[in-house]
Amino acid sequence: MRRVNIGAGSAFWGDMLEPAVQLAERAEIGYLGFDHLSELTMAILTRQRDRDPDKGFIPDIVPWMEACLPPARERGIVLTSNAGGANPRAAAREVAKVARAAGLGGTRIGIVEGDDLLPTLDRLRADGVTLENMDTGEEGLDRIANRIVAANAYLGADGIIEQLQGDADVIVTGRVSDNALHVAPIMHEFGWSYDDEHVDRIAAAITVGHLIECTACATGGMSNMWRISDRTWQVGFPIAEIAEDGTATITKLEGSGGIVNEWTIKEHLLYEIIDPNNYVMPDGVADFTSVQLDDLGGDRVAVSDVRGARRPDRAKVCIGYRDGYIGEGTIWYGWPDALPKAQSAARWIERRFEELGPRFEETRIDFVGINMMQGETAPIRDIDHNEVGLRVSARTVDREVAEIVRKEVTHLWTLGAVGSAVGVPPRVRPVIALWPTLVPWEYVDVRTDQVVVN
Amino acid sequence: MPDVELRELAYARSGDKGDTCIIGIMAKSPEIYGHLRAAITADAVKEHFGDMVQGEIEIYPMDNIESLAIVLRNSLGGGATKTLRFDQTGKAMGSALLRMTIDVPPALREEAQQRTIAIEGSPNGPK
Repeated sequence: MRRVNIGAGSAFWGDMLEPAVQLAERAEIGYLGFDHLSELTMAILTRQRDRDPDKGFIPDIVPWMEACLPPARERGIVLTSNAGGANPRAAAREVAKVARAAGLGGTRIGIVEGDDLLPTLDRLRADGVTLENMDTGEEGLDRIANRIVAANAYLGADGIIEQLQGDADVIVTGRVSDNALHVAPIMHEFGWSYDDEHVDRIAAAITVGHLIECTACATGGMSNMWRISDRTWQVGFPIAEIAEDGTATITKLEGSGGIVNEWTIKEHLLYEIIDPNNYVMPDGVADFTSVQLDDLGGDRVAVSDVRGARRPDRAKVCIGYRDGYIGEGTIWYGWPDALPKAQSAARWIERRFEELGPRFEETRIDFVGINMMQGETAPIRDIDHNEVGLRVSARTVDREVAEIVRKEVTHLWTLGAVGSAVGVPPRVRPVIALWPTLVPWEYVDVRTDQVVVN
Repeated sequence: MPDVELRELAYARSGDKGDTCIIGIMAKSPEIYGHLRAAITADAVKEHFGDMVQGEIEIYPMDNIESLAIVLRNSLGGGATKTLRFDQTGKAMGSALLRMTIDVPPALREEAQQRTIAIEGSPNGPK
């Protein structure tokens, strides 16, 4: 039976480079996919592009391609990356420079765009598309219209497949779903189309894509297996071996660190899904309650029996809008009486905020070392703690008001209890709030292009 | 039956989708899963988290992997980019749920301990 092997080379902007290079240099794979995007990243990149038409992509694509493109070209591995962000064309120009510098003339660079719906929002509103916020149920964009900075549809595999059919060696995209980076080569290799006959097999591809798209999170990182996950500083990123019947094995490079077993795959199958009966992606719907896992030992887990449904008739779109600022600061108290001192400081802050007037949209107080991570589920132990931090944060409309937070926390240093330290409070940061919604596919125009490096 | 922390019986991992937190609970054996499936109700989870969860709670059993997908709506302060929570993406919520106590027969607790040793090579759990 025909098979295709796929590696995952990046899960986010900031992931490790070395495991990706190892896959390009040593793994028996045909494709290596890189996810560099998050919802917040798209908003930041869109703003960069609007200021400078040569920017708006993930700059890491340059060092990543410098390291991975030469071995990939030599070994016939096709690279896919969504590092194009808000400007895939500019990213492709950078990849072309990398290829030229490496003496890789003839390299074909595919470009996938059409996810940017910022220019389409007016038409959507005029046509009466409700654009209901999937988190809050709020309809219409009137309240946020003048603060919108980005609107991106999560594209499916279509555009990438088109470029694979055009023999691209590297494909640079905008906001495709992380998943589509891996679904595309599987559908392309086996010639699957979006028809009833292939629904379950595309669901299998979606499941495989989901399992590998967060790289080390399937191979012993962020894991309940942390005690036995070996040498994660040398972690191996996941490899999926998929057969034409939709069955697959998840593994990692032999000799690499980390672990792949029943539990690392279970914890990732469950990761950041909502309804496991309907894991909705732009290419189809996977039913994770049908999946059978079989731990084969030796860092190999088999995945089979995936069922699914046809692709949804609407695209998920994430709209990002400016929503004020966040200011925060933390002051630490040491033994003795660290917690009562921090509690006393919290009362001080509350009184100061009262005197300064109701200028905050929202405030929050955490006791670091006590309840910051697990809130009210964490019991406060009756001991004289070694150290406790008081973290104060607030969301505001104006930047100057957000600055108040760290100023007041700094005041506490000299006005609160003895024995405290404030370190360097983080800078005020602007908030980009997200408005996830659904848009009929007819408003999304996927376009592809290809440049050949001379 | 003794109250046992969920920590002994299952593994957990959590993450976010917008303002929704999703917790995966993986039972350490099929027998434990049967017990947890009955014991971990939306009401019990709601009581455990109190005001930390503002919206609805849905629990999806996954018999195929002896796990529960637990969905907590409006639980992350408006979502990662806007929240004042230090744990912006809800990764600590799964561990927080492992504090929940469950009535289990002593034999099941013993089984959980044996399973932990089989999986992790040592008993590792609480003393």
